[in-house]
Amino acid sequence: MATDKELSDFLKSVEKRAFKRTAFAVRDDDAALDIVQDSMIRLAEKYVDRPAAELPLLFQRILSNATMDWFRRQKVRNAVVHNFSEFSGPGDEDGEFDILEMLDGIEGNVGTESASDSVSRDQILQLIEQQVAELPARQREAFLLRYWEELDVAETASVMGCSEGSVKTHCSRAVHALAKALKAKGLAP
Amino acid sequence: MTNNTNSTYSSVRDRDGLEARFGVRVASMLGERAQSTAPDISERLRFAREQALVRAQAARRQEQAATAPVVVSRGRTAALANPLGWWFKLGSAAPLALLVLGLAGIAHVHDKAQIAAVAEVDAALLSDDLPPAAYTDPGFAEYLKTHQE
Repeated sequence: MATDKELSDFLKSVEKRAFKRTAFAVRDDDAALDIVQDSMIRLAEKYVDRPAAELPLLFQRILSNATMDWFRRQKVRNAVVHNFSEFSGPGDEDGEFDILEMLDGIEGNVGTESASDSVSRDQILQLIEQQVAELPARQREAFLLRYWEELDVAETASVMGCSEGSVKTHCSRAVHALAKALKAKGLAP
Repeated sequence: MTNNTNSTYSSVRDRDGLEARFGVRVASMLGERAQSTAPDISERLRFAREQALVRAQAARRQEQAATAPVVVSRGRTAALANPLGWWFKLGSAAPLALLVLGLAGIAHVHDKAQIAAVAEVDAALLSDDLPPAAYTDPGFAEYLKTHQE
């Protein structure tokens, strides 16, 4: 059973990412805060008897469900589902983008101290955040759960309610879409 | 053919690895930006966390209350009761089961004693010189009655 301190530490460690992830999805800070608070309370009330190690996956699942509930309440679920499936641009599955090249470019621009101008750095981070926000919802969710929340493929599939193959596809497409978008914005070597 | 398969497999793995590196790098930058959340949002998140902890404590208390013994009082008497405890139910049922078994045992012993007494009478009758049919004779019955008096 997780103690109060373990629960508090866990919520503290996850709250900002949870807020950001939800804000990406609902595009409304107040609604995102409500959803995160609701998810925290659901976790605390219903799963307080679970060990601390189980909290991350449970919380991600609760947060995803709470976000979906919000969309249902907003009666825009059809529009969301439409958005989920609309991403099928011609550049999705091609090998035209050299991810390694992009990776080097990003690391060169942001990841090292050579990017000394903090204003410029903040602008780049903002640009990346904007591009992530513009990803199709399922791709963004898969990308954030895999690389930000650091869940493995099976855990991500469990949270998203889809197959592991779908998770890999969503993640791959998200990475390529981000690489393409960032390159288009000039964030390239 | 094998070389082609191996090289394809290797290139897929390389590509997966690069995608993962890219993803982790972008995510770390997102994390960096997420840490610089506006103060009002940080404050609301702190409030949400505290609310959740209060609820967790309430849920724990409720759970403990549900499993702990409850004092049930009526009038001048008071008793401990635990509606969910299996041991309590078992403890309540055991004396009743012992009582039923005891009564059944007493009835069994009583029946055997009765059977033994009847068998003893039968044996005495059968081993007597007088035939049992004599006891059905009204004259003999009258004779016995007179002699007892």
